[in-house]
Amino acid sequence: MATYLIRRLLLMIPTVLGITLMVFLIVALAPGGIGAGLAVQGGQVSDTSKVAQMQAYMEDRYGLNDPVVVQYGRWIARVCPVRFGTTSLESPSGDRIAVPRELPELPMQWAFPAPATFEVTFTPQSGDALIEEFRTLQRDAEGRRRTYVGSVRAFKDALADHVRVLGDPWTARLDPKGGADPTNFRDLPLGGGQPTPVPADAAATWAKVNAAAAQMHQAWSLAEEARQRATIAFAARPFPPAGVEVIRDVVSIDSPDFGVAFSRNRPVWDLIKTALPVTMLINLIAFPIIYLVAVPTGVLASIRRGGVADIASGFLFLLLYSVPVVLAGVFAIGFLANNQYLGWFPVSGLHDSAQATMTFLPYTDPSSVWHRGWLLDTVWHLALPVLCLVYGGFAVLSKQTRASMLDNFNADYVRTARAKGVPRKDIVISHVLRNSLLPLITMFVGIFPAMLGGSVVVERIFTIPGMGSLVIEAINLRDRELILANTFMISSVSLLALLLADILYALCDPRVAYE
Amino acid sequence: MQSRFGVKDFFTILLLLAVLISVWLSMTQRTRMELAIESIRVKLGEMERQDALLQRQIEKGFASGVPVAAGAAPAAAAAQTDDAWARPGVAVTRWATPAPATDPTGVPGFAIGGEFTEIFEAQPAKLVPYIQSDVYGTRVLDRVCESLGSFNPKTLKMEGALADAWQIDPDGLWIRAHINPRARFSDGARVTAEDVRWTYLDFIGNPLIEAERSRSTQDNLKTVKVIDEQTVEFEFKEPFFTNTLIAFGNPVLPKHWYSKFEPSQINQGTGLMMGSGQFKLQQLPSGPDNIDVQWTPGTDVVLVRNEQYWAEKPPLERLRFKVVSDELGRLVSLRNGEGSMILPSSPQFNKVLREDADFEKAFYALKWVNMRCGYSFIAWQCGPRAGKGLTPFHDARVRRAMTMLLDRERMIRDIWDGIGIVSKGPMNPESPASDPALKPLTFNPDRAKALLAEAGWKDRNGDGILENEAGDKFTFEYTYATGGEISERLARFVKDSFTNAGILVTTRPVDWSRYQDLLKLRDFDAITMGWGNNAPESDPRQIWHSESTREGGDNFIQWRNADADALIEQGRRSMVESDRMLVWRQLEAVIAEEQPYTFVRVAPWLRFVDRRFGNVNMYRSGLQPEEFFRTSVPAPAY
Repeated sequence: MATYLIRRLLLMIPTVLGITLMVFLIVALAPGGIGAGLAVQGGQVSDTSKVAQMQAYMEDRYGLNDPVVVQYGRWIARVCPVRFGTTSLESPSGDRIAVPRELPELPMQWAFPAPATFEVTFTPQSGDALIEEFRTLQRDAEGRRRTYVGSVRAFKDALADHVRVLGDPWTARLDPKGGADPTNFRDLPLGGGQPTPVPADAAATWAKVNAAAAQMHQAWSLAEEARQRATIAFAARPFPPAGVEVIRDVVSIDSPDFGVAFSRNRPVWDLIKTALPVTMLINLIAFPIIYLVAVPTGVLASIRRGGVADIASGFLFLLLYSVPVVLAGVFAIGFLANNQYLGWFPVSGLHDSAQATMTFLPYTDPSSVWHRGWLLDTVWHLALPVLCLVYGGFAVLSKQTRASMLDNFNADYVRTARAKGVPRKDIVISHVLRNSLLPLITMFVGIFPAMLGGSVVVERIFTIPGMGSLVIEAINLRDRELILANTFMISSVSLLALLLADILYALCDPRVAYE
Repeated sequence: MQSRFGVKDFFTILLLLAVLISVWLSMTQRTRMELAIESIRVKLGEMERQDALLQRQIEKGFASGVPVAAGAAPAAAAAQTDDAWARPGVAVTRWATPAPATDPTGVPGFAIGGEFTEIFEAQPAKLVPYIQSDVYGTRVLDRVCESLGSFNPKTLKMEGALADAWQIDPDGLWIRAHINPRARFSDGARVTAEDVRWTYLDFIGNPLIEAERSRSTQDNLKTVKVIDEQTVEFEFKEPFFTNTLIAFGNPVLPKHWYSKFEPSQINQGTGLMMGSGQFKLQQLPSGPDNIDVQWTPGTDVVLVRNEQYWAEKPPLERLRFKVVSDELGRLVSLRNGEGSMILPSSPQFNKVLREDADFEKAFYALKWVNMRCGYSFIAWQCGPRAGKGLTPFHDARVRRAMTMLLDRERMIRDIWDGIGIVSKGPMNPESPASDPALKPLTFNPDRAKALLAEAGWKDRNGDGILENEAGDKFTFEYTYATGGEISERLARFVKDSFTNAGILVTTRPVDWSRYQDLLKLRDFDAITMGWGNNAPESDPRQIWHSESTREGGDNFIQWRNADADALIEQGRRSMVESDRMLVWRQLEAVIAEEQPYTFVRVAPWLRFVDRRFGNVNMYRSGLQPEEFFRTSVPAPAY
């Protein structure tokens, strides 16, 4: 059994990786792309080229301009608890600070030679002064990097303009978006620093290309200097290392980092942490209700097969099953919650707006006014959403129970038991029901991933800030980090649930053994 | 199996009972504690109010305590006109302390106190100035933070808010503003010139803070200088009219409070919003130590009256913003009294008024066009599509004909249930930049046919479809966003209208997230969209200038017009408002003539507001909840 468990657990790792890779690819290749959420409307920007530069910077900041595989690798490296390379630091506010990133390479170095590389050396301060110094350097480095990335974009635009003036055969290689791809112009007569004849009508644009290149080189030098300074200050460790460092700046262990959801600019984990308990609460109420109603009804229906209870429950459950949740939700709001009709329940949310001042238990104040208190208020708010989640779930489970019960009723051992005079109650409960549990287990473990997923429709109708709303919004906005973290979580839980099912099989049915 | 009640069972049951009893006791204890806390809270609120009242009286007492001699009044006036802070030789514009546009105290039924609940369709992602990006966050921000200036709700002129005087360089390269010495942040600290400088240079200008959107709109700002404690000067690289918007339109943040937080805490904050406005967030951390106190999405946003407000305080005690994502749910919430205001959709607006004759007895049904109304349009590809071939729409005559083939009056009647007005151009109809004399093109299929024939498109082989000289059929692709009944109906209407005129239309529904890509690549023949608005005038360069046909520009239709370019350059460098408005009107005329877009509809603002609130006025700038009051204030209903 133990070896079986270990094998299964190890097999889960590649499975989860495979699932996340698939999702990653789908998100990355989806039309519209993940950049759409970051796209910036021009609005009051005074100069169009500034917007393009800003977009270039945003892409650089979130690493969106790298190949998909590289981006996936970076994601895995962040999620994996074992970290390689320079150890990140942990600021007092609990944020991870990574070592300053290398600058993107200068484009077209074969035609516009890069400025000489240099080594900055300085002795960083120590103690609190180091923290202050590092913060300033960090800010400088980021600011100059932004300027540099923008200047690369400006250079490419200038080059694209020049190429347009030069005309074919190079214009065919221009991306319709503008912003020339320099690798496309290796044969452009630019020369490696040597004076090349530039057609007279292209002299103006050629001058602009050169000016842009000079500006880019200057921005690079400044950014590189700031980066090196920030790196040196980083190496002096203004903050303690994050997690547990095994070998300094080689291997460390840290909690998984799911990144920042860029649609909301908040850490993914924070978002999940607030949404998950809400969904779990609703599901933890809904699922027991479904089981407590559906399983006994199924048992009853199988015992009284063809009787009133069987037909009535089958009819009722199938009827409920066929009502779409959207419709039920709208009816619930329109009639049960509307003061014009019944007005018994609240329309939306999980709590009353006065919840902050509510007592926990119901309470009658000195002027004998009854206050319902937080506990009852929550139950009252949950009634309609739970109702909508529950009513459709009876049919499948009760029919499943009934079917597997009937299978067992017809089995030989039941006939034998009946023949030898075992009381009917014992036959039903300890023989038939127990043997009918196996299919129910399969269904039961499906609950766990469902609990994390939440119900999109119900959450939307009743404005419940749970996982369903979170995920659907993430998908609409192509928020990759959020989608990935969710997929990762749900797929891990699904796999664990399947494992749990296998273990439960073995416990319920002595015939099943994993050796 | 024998079931016998043994000693072990006895103890188990005893233990279970003990646990249950202690749980119950702890629950009652918690209830008792909460009652105690609540009474302390009520007392604290009372004390804060009294404290503010006392302060006010002390200030007044000092003013009146000064012996009122003959020279006292001129001395006070002299203090107001002391221009030591100003640059000599340039006119100073002075502003009175901000006051409500309509004084609520004069309205019958006026009362102080009460809560106003606005219902949003979606959750604001975060409430942090300059980092938030949605419209919901902005509505909260407008109540909590103040800028140096604000638009007068009635006249739409920029007037002083935090600033009590300013100077604007006639050449447009600098602006100097003097901050009202009475101005206070909601924690009582004075608003100083250093706060303004810090907001621009060290908050928006800090690359570690993710305010990239705001940062890029201020690229024309050269620097901000502190002249003295109350005076600040902005310097600009180029003389653009938008400079006044940059200087006066951005909320001023308290340096002493925001600088307590690390940039990452501000970036990831959800409710770090503090300012000098008439309301303040109920939950606000005092520093990084209790940063968890801040508002988080998923709960109502509650604003309480800023008892320290430095000018006239609002009548309402609380503003609440709650979210109901279902459309019917919002209406039911309003009817049930769980909300005071909702934004109905066009069909819902008319449906409710039609079906419920008594609705308007309990609720205001407001419908008006204001400066925040945007317009929807069909954009024609005037340049080569995706860098390949030209579309038929490169010819202005064709574009005019397309507009004349669409019966926009009927579209609004059939598709939007009659709500909206026909749009004639990019300028908001409420704005002085729009010429009231200019009328939209009328529906005229005959004239359209003539124009098309003039441009070479006529039915040459009698098959009912227009062809050009080369025999190519007039065909184009109409792109629209999926996921809305209105856009589907619009697409059908457009297709029918053009098919009747002998034009072949294929429709291409695409997901909204793909729109960005299509626009960026200029990969469409005709596309339908809308532009929003939030100020009386905006810089037209980004949408209409030929330079903006490059990537990053929003001239995705690649419309190039030398007249328009010249007018845009002239207008944005014109610092005198009246001159500039004339330029914008000329630009509007050029665009109307060229019809690069078929302007479809200006969507008015629609609101249902509970009649228990008074002084609800429809302004040219929108609504002013600061002026609302609740006519009677019953106790909370729970």
